Amino acid sequence: MCQKFTQISTFLKILQISKILELNSKLLYYISLKFSIFRRYPYRLPYKYNFKNSLDMKTYKMSKDRFPEFIEQIKTKGQLYGPVKGNGKYSFEKIEKFEDLDFDYQRTVIGPKKFLTPPRYQTLRYDKSGQTDVFVSDETQIVIGVHPCDIHGINILDRLFLGNIKDPYYEKRRNNLIIIGHSCLPDENCVCKSTGTDMVEDGFDLFFTELGEHYLVWVGSDKGLSIAIEAEDMLTEEISEDEIQEYVRWQQRRSEMFKSEIPSFKYLADIIHLHYDSKVWEQFGEKCLSCGICSIVCPTCNCFNVEDRISMNTEDGFRERILDSCTLPYYSMVAGDHDFRPDRTSRLKLYYTHKLKEYIGRWGQPSCVGCGRCITYCPVGINVLTVSTALYEEVCEKPEACE
Amino acid sequence: MWQREKKPVVGIFGFSGCAGDQLAILHMEDELVDFFTSADIKFFHMAQSHQEVDHVDIALVEGSINTDKQLAELKEIREKADIIVALGTCATHGGIQYLGDNEKEFKERMLLVYGKDGKIPKFSELVGNPIPAEPIHKFIEVDYSIPGCPIAKENFIPIYTKLISGLKPTKYPYPVCIECKFQGNDCFLLHGKYCLGPVTDGGCDACCPTFGVPCVGCFGAYEGANFESMIEKLIEIGLTEEDAKRKLMMFGGKATELALKGEK
Repeated sequence: MCQKFTQISTFLKILQISKILELNSKLLYYISLKFSIFRRYPYRLPYKYNFKNSLDMKTYKMSKDRFPEFIEQIKTKGQLYGPVKGNGKYSFEKIEKFEDLDFDYQRTVIGPKKFLTPPRYQTLRYDKSGQTDVFVSDETQIVIGVHPCDIHGINILDRLFLGNIKDPYYEKRRNNLIIIGHSCLPDENCVCKSTGTDMVEDGFDLFFTELGEHYLVWVGSDKGLSIAIEAEDMLTEEISEDEIQEYVRWQQRRSEMFKSEIPSFKYLADIIHLHYDSKVWEQFGEKCLSCGICSIVCPTCNCFNVEDRISMNTEDGFRERILDSCTLPYYSMVAGDHDFRPDRTSRLKLYYTHKLKEYIGRWGQPSCVGCGRCITYCPVGINVLTVSTALYEEVCEKPEACE
Repeated sequence: MWQREKKPVVGIFGFSGCAGDQLAILHMEDELVDFFTSADIKFFHMAQSHQEVDHVDIALVEGSINTDKQLAELKEIREKADIIVALGTCATHGGIQYLGDNEKEFKERMLLVYGKDGKIPKFSELVGNPIPAEPIHKFIEVDYSIPGCPIAKENFIPIYTKLISGLKPTKYPYPVCIECKFQGNDCFLLHGKYCLGPVTDGGCDACCPTFGVPCVGCFGAYEGANFESMIEKLIEIGLTEEDAKRKLMMFGGKATELALKGEK
């Protein structure tokens, strides 16, 4: 009893010091482990290759028949959303019961970015007395069944909206969001192997990998850990060598299932740069419908337009953010009615050079996560795969010479 | 705090069309009281008795121009109004009545419909001599356009309230597809069904595709529309070129036909 008391007081001391030093939660967790505060949940290095923040990574195993029970439990923590099939397409919808969930899906039309940057949302309201900012409620939103590509997409959005200048509307939504990932198997439109986003190391709270009769569950954050601790009776840390072997075999099998590949994705930025005036753009520009579907469905496209809406009484109103698309005419119009990109070709070029080239210069990686949404939804077949293939083929007239 | 000097005078005028846009205004039940109090509505045939007006700040004009009498009235409105807003697809694009123009000559059509001499007794005195239907921008300068068949409340209110507040609405055209994807819908064109979403002006919240009905283009042509590529796509899903063009011209009328020929 006495020893326990000393442990807790030590922990509180660490807490105070860490507040002064502004240590992050991961480090705090590590320190607390050293003082064996959480001895009930001993830290064990999980089986996962190439992870950056191994500190709070834990791996569990869950039997599949306990999964409905787990869903019931996390439903008590907030509003649960998950993949639901309807009218021949999948979307993240509110989950009332476990049977609604359908994890056997490739992609939803709109990814989980709809929880962070919804197509339309109010940011400000005003009336005669003044103005007030509009924020979402504190209700926790839990999204289950998010695929690795979409988690990568959220990581990219995080970098943009939570960088040096934080967007308060995004920040609030992000803090309220719990992401529970789910493993997937690729179809012919998935190109995440080429973009290197088929595996995910961070950005989720929990990640479920489906292996036959059980799940391997990775913990990716403190929030995820607290969920796992609460669901302790459903999870076990005893993962046998056979199961690890099974996981490795599953990974290999999945890796072989990819049918589409972006040719020389690593050098794509250079190809775009060197062939900036390529005729390929004009060919695609002639075909492009300027409909903006590609950017609305893209998990990393986040441009928005801001509009003030006045109510009919002309005395109050609100300010609204509406998801925008760079393929629309007038997107690049500035004051004085000058339009930098009046034609479709230049707008399409902007879309792809920004996504595949400019982003690398700024963030070290392209903003394409290979989810295959543009490949699936563009009505005229202009997508990351066809554009990059056309550019590649133009540079390499004899593809075997470029290999 | 910024305050309006006085209530602007608004007139709502209707020409050839189903008067559905005036009805759509009256259908905005939640905003209707505010609509009649926030501006001085001086001329609104569907809702008020006839009034003579000398001057209006904002004129909302619905319908296409079909007779010479309407044309004279339209020109009179232009002189009396500071701002003219074309309301509904008939006024902005010509609507369905603008469609027949490429089939036969106007006189031939009159003969076909109204008998031997193509003249309608007493008709001329009542509404004037018929002329081929045209959208209002063919005759007068139009300041703003709000398409729709009928207009959508969500599209109309932001533009209208800005105008009556003395502000300038911004033009930002986008196709139906944008709002269709906001709703998370699948695409008809990918499943071999025709849909005119990519070439049709948005603002309707994609109500038809959301309820499983393909877009027929009732908001008229979208400014960034690529008709050549759209026709190719429609042919690809099994329509003949003739059919594809007829479908495109249903609401866009002659404007679409000119765009197809590469004239603007």
